[in-house]
Amino acid sequence: MVLSISSRRLMKELKEIETKGTPPGIQLLKADDMETWIFLISVLGDETVYKGETFALKLKFEPGYPIDYPQVTFLSDDQYQPPLHPHVYSNGHICASILGSEWSPVLTALSICITIQSMLASCKKKERPPGNDRYVRSAPLNPKLTRWAYEDDTV
Amino acid sequence: MNTNHPLLASLADEPPPFPDSHPQLQRLDRSVLCTICKEIFRAPVTVTCGHTFCSECIRSSLSVMTDKKCPLCHATITEGSIRRNRAMEEVTEAWETARDSLITLSQPVAGPSRRRPPPEPNSKSSSSTSANLKRPRRSDESRSQSPNKISKKSTDHVDHVVSSDSEEEEQVQEISENDEGECPLCSARMAIASIPMHIERGCPPVSKKKSAPGNQKADWRKVFSMAGSTKEKNVSMKRITSPNYHLATPTDLRNILNEYSLPTVGDKPALEARVRQWIILFNSNLDTEHPKSLSALRAKLNAEEISKKRDKERGRDEAVENLKTTEGFAEHVRNSGAEFERLRKEIMERDAKRAKAAKGLEASSAIEVD
Ligand SMILES: [Zn+2]
Ligand SMILES: [Zn+2]
Ligand SMILES: [Zn+2]
Repeated sequence: MVLSISSRRLMKELKEIETKGTPPGIQLLKADDMETWIFLISVLGDETVYKGETFALKLKFEPGYPIDYPQVTFLSDDQYQPPLHPHVYSNGHICASILGSEWSPVLTALSICITIQSMLASCKKKERPPGNDRYVRSAPLNPKLTRWAYEDDTV
Repeated sequence: MNTNHPLLASLADEPPPFPDSHPQLQRLDRSVLCTICKEIFRAPVTVTCGHTFCSECIRSSLSVMTDKKCPLCHATITEGSIRRNRAMEEVTEAWETARDSLITLSQPVAGPSRRRPPPEPNSKSSSSTSANLKRPRRSDESRSQSPNKISKKSTDHVDHVVSSDSEEEEQVQEISENDEGECPLCSARMAIASIPMHIERGCPPVSKKKSAPGNQKADWRKVFSMAGSTKEKNVSMKRITSPNYHLATPTDLRNILNEYSLPTVGDKPALEARVRQWIILFNSNLDTEHPKSLSALRAKLNAEEISKKRDKERGRDEAVENLKTTEGFAEHVRNSGAEFERLRKEIMERDAKRAKAAKGLEASSAIEVD
C-alpha cells in the first residue's frame, strides 16, 4: 500500500495515542483505517451541563491532511446523539473556527478532540444554534462544504 | 487500548524512542521534528517569526491558506519570507547520525542486536521496536546520487542547489544493496538495488491495484520513460515564481509544465493544480543540501495526483449520496457556488455514462461505505 504523507502522519498520531494514552474524558473508539476515526468525548467534573453524557466525534481524513483539516462531526445514530450546544447542529455539524479558517496543520486529531471538549466544557446553556432546522434541512453531508460564519473567536 | 494496533505494523521500522530515563534526549529528539509532518526536518526553512518547518510542509500550508499565518504562532508570514535554514539541516543530519549510538548508550541493558531481517509487513510482533535501530531513510534519501545528477545537467545557478565543496563526507550507509529497504517515495518494501528503477517507473504498486484510467496515466508513463532513456533537458535550477493563476491561459500553464517535462493533459483546473504542486515540490527541493533528482520529483507529483484523484472520486460518490438525501438542493448550490455546480454536472455526466455502460454493475460503488 502506498503510504501517503497523511497516512504516515496519522500512524504517528495513532502510535502516540497508544503509547501515551488520551487525556481524561477522551477515548479512541475506532481507528480501523487511516480514513475515519471515532473518539468518545465526555466532560468531566460536576460543573458541566453535560454531566454523565458521552458523545461520539467522527473525524474523516483526506489525503491533504494535515495541510487540510478533516471533516469533523458528532455522530447522530441510535447509540449516540450530538450534544445540545449553541455551536452544534442536530445533524452533528459543528461550527468551530479551528475546523475552518483557524485550522493549523500542526494540530492533531487529539488536539481537535481537546478543543471540542473544552468547547463543551465552557457551555452554560444547552441549546441548538439559531436556524438549526433550516440549516439541517439543506446541509451538505460534508461540513466542509458549509461556509461557516463564526460568531466569536473563542471556539 | 491494545498496543499492537494492526495499522501500526507499517511503523514497525520506526526507530525506537529514547527511554523515559533520558528526558533530555527525548527533548533533543523532538526538537528536530517538524511540527507539521511530525517527521525529522527535511529541507528545513525558517519564516519571519523564527519558526522552522520542512520547506515542503510550510509551502504546502501557505498555498491553501487565504490568510497566510505561521501554523505555530499565527504571525502573518509570506512565501517570500521563507529562508533556508542551513544550520538546522546540519543539526538534523548530525543528530540522525548520532542517534543510533545514543540509543544504545541510553539503554539500561546491553544494546540489542543491530542487524535483523526486516519485519514481516504484517507482523504484529511487539519485539519489532527493539529490532531496527536505524531511523528509516526518508523520502528524500536518494542522497548520494541526486546532487551529482543535477550539477551535471544544469548550467546555471548551480549554487542554489549543490554546494561545490566536497569536503563534507557522504555518510556511508551500513546496509548493502541486497538488503530490503523502503521506497523513499511510496514506502513499499523491496530490494534496495531495485528502488531506483521502481522510482524511475513512478512507484508502481507492489500489489496489483486498479489504477487511474485515461490518458493521464499514459502521459505520465511517457514522462517517466523519457526521463529514463533520453537526456534530461536543460532545466534551470532557479526558484519558480508562481504565475498569476487568474490571468494564465491553459497554454501558459502548459508551457510551464513543458519546461519541466511534465504532462500537459487536463483542463485548466487540473493544469493549475499540477503547476501549483510542482512549484511547491521544485522550490522546496532547492532548500536542501541533498536535492532529489527531477525524475524523483516527477514521480512524487504523479503519486500525489493519483492519490488526490482517488479522493476526488470518493468525494463525488459522497456528493451523489448527498443530493439524494437532502432537499435543499438549490440553497446548496447557492452556498457552495460554482464549484459545487461543476461537481454536480460532473456527477450527472458520470452517472449518465454509467447508466449507459453497465446497468447496475457499478451501482454499489456509488454508495459510501462507512
Ligand atoms: Zn515537515
Ligand atoms: Zn511562528
Ligand atoms: Zn550564510
